[in-house]
Amino acid sequence: MSGLAARKAWNLAAMALASLCALAGLLLLATILRDVLAEGLGSLRLRLFTQDPAPPNMAGAGGLRSAFLGQGLLTLAASAMGVPIGVLGGTYLAEYGRDSRICRLISTLSDMAVSIPSIVIGTFAYAILVKPMGGFNGWAGAVALAIIILPIIVRTTEEMMTMVPWALREAAFALGAPYCKVITSIVWRSAMSGIFTGILLAMARVAGETAPLLFTSFNSNFFRLDMSQAVPSLTVSIYQYAASPYEGWVGLAWAAAFVVTVLVLMLNILGRVVIRLRKRG
Amino acid sequence: MGDHLLVNGLDFFYGQTHALRAVTLPIRRNRITSLIGPSGCGKTTLLRCFNRMHDLYPNNRYRGEILMDGRDILGPAVDVIGLRNSMGMVFQKPTPFPMSVFDNVAYGLRLKRVRNAGVLRERVEKALRQAAVWDEVKDRLGQNAQGLSGGQQQRLVIARTLAVDPQVILFDESTSALDPISSKKIEELMTELKKEVTIIAVTHNMQQAARISDFTALMYLGSLVEYDETATIFTKPRNKLTEEYVTGRFG
Ligand SMILES: Nc1ncnc2c1ncn2[C@@H]1O[C@H](COP(=O)(O)OP(=O)(O)O)[C@@H](O)[C@H]1O
Ligand SMILES: [Mg+2]
Repeated sequence: MSGLAARKAWNLAAMALASLCALAGLLLLATILRDVLAEGLGSLRLRLFTQDPAPPNMAGAGGLRSAFLGQGLLTLAASAMGVPIGVLGGTYLAEYGRDSRICRLISTLSDMAVSIPSIVIGTFAYAILVKPMGGFNGWAGAVALAIIILPIIVRTTEEMMTMVPWALREAAFALGAPYCKVITSIVWRSAMSGIFTGILLAMARVAGETAPLLFTSFNSNFFRLDMSQAVPSLTVSIYQYAASPYEGWVGLAWAAAFVVTVLVLMLNILGRVVIRLRKRG
Repeated sequence: MGDHLLVNGLDFFYGQTHALRAVTLPIRRNRITSLIGPSGCGKTTLLRCFNRMHDLYPNNRYRGEILMDGRDILGPAVDVIGLRNSMGMVFQKPTPFPMSVFDNVAYGLRLKRVRNAGVLRERVEKALRQAAVWDEVKDRLGQNAQGLSGGQQQRLVIARTLAVDPQVILFDESTSALDPISSKKIEELMTELKKEVTIIAVTHNMQQAARISDFTALMYLGSLVEYDETATIFTKPRNKLTEEYVTGRFG
């Protein structure tokens, strides 16, 4: 009886501690969101999206239109590289190479790659794509982002495809379908929402990244979407504006931070809703 | 009518596991042959040899032959895709694909590059009628097949198999996951279908084997114990083991 009482007490203590930690995390998040919300909403102006950066002495003018577009362009280019390679790679791991030692190794390495600090990837891209090409350029930024999303997409694709029951594949084989057809028409289709979610979450991960861009595509104050040059970047702009002494720029940084936060939150929520719907049926 | 298939001295190995031992068994054309026997005796393993399902996994090995109209279907030169086209398979659990009812049934046809919408519609309807599920799904051909009931799904899968005009259909305990009414519908369907196809049915359910099949083969520990007309197997088996099994004393 006393053993049970002790266990109950332990249980209570552990639960209290865990709850406290969870609360601390939530509190921190809430504080960040509150600040971003309060400061960001207050500085939000339409010109943030319609005007390009203006010098700090022009009060009440200037926005980050080019930075939004630049960030979008970089994310798009990164996805154009990372999504097909990631999905095909994940498909290989789940299908053709399943159970092989090399594939298990690749899976493990991908899991590790997910947690490589993004600044390390940024410096890597700098070494192979910025230095040799003689300057900051959009391609280097896009490649850095692609390297970040690649392992995430590989692993979610693999996991989602592995979840598709073998019986379904066998049923297609039994009708005389070749393997490639089984994959494209049955497995991908069954795992589609899951794979799509992985892509969304991967994009959410890089949409707010600054570090990998600092060394690669850097930033530009001009409306210039040339991938062979420095490309305007929202997150790097936030970084620079927030650290500047000008009130107008700091306000813009808050507003932009607010927009990025909302965007990333929405991508995450969307991804999770898709997963939830999928689990339900 | 004669033998459609002849399993001739067949051994099968899952890596080191010797799962079938010298099985020799005729399969009569346009008849239902039941494979019965205790769990783990090799019924599924034998069934999956007919459409070479075992080829999908490494280290599986056949020895011996299965003749189809006199030609060995286990040979290396056999066109496995063509073989699977002529051998439908219905699994224990229904396996509707994640697509509409119509697309499920059209799946095999599209694989064979039937593209004409009119032809597709005609063949899909014919298959669904043959599988006795047309009336229940005709108003929901565009809906996702995974929303149908289990019994409807299983008949849909049969329709999907029938759509490509197989010569043989392999059933692996295809009614065991269904309610009694759905099971009965599938049994009636099988009896109806044997006019056009040869049927091999693995079943756990002795009454079912007795009800629907013309021939019955009893397996035990990977070997064929006895094969005969169903009536003989159930009333005057030659083998002691068969007698014990069909009277429910073991298995
Ligand atoms: N994939 C497999 N790998 C190894 N052994 C298997 C595999 N599938 C089945 N077996 C073995 O082969 C034997 C026959 O199995 P199975 O054909 O599934 O029996 P049944 O369908 O009659 O219940 C069993 O001993 C089983 O453990
Ligand atoms: Mg079985």
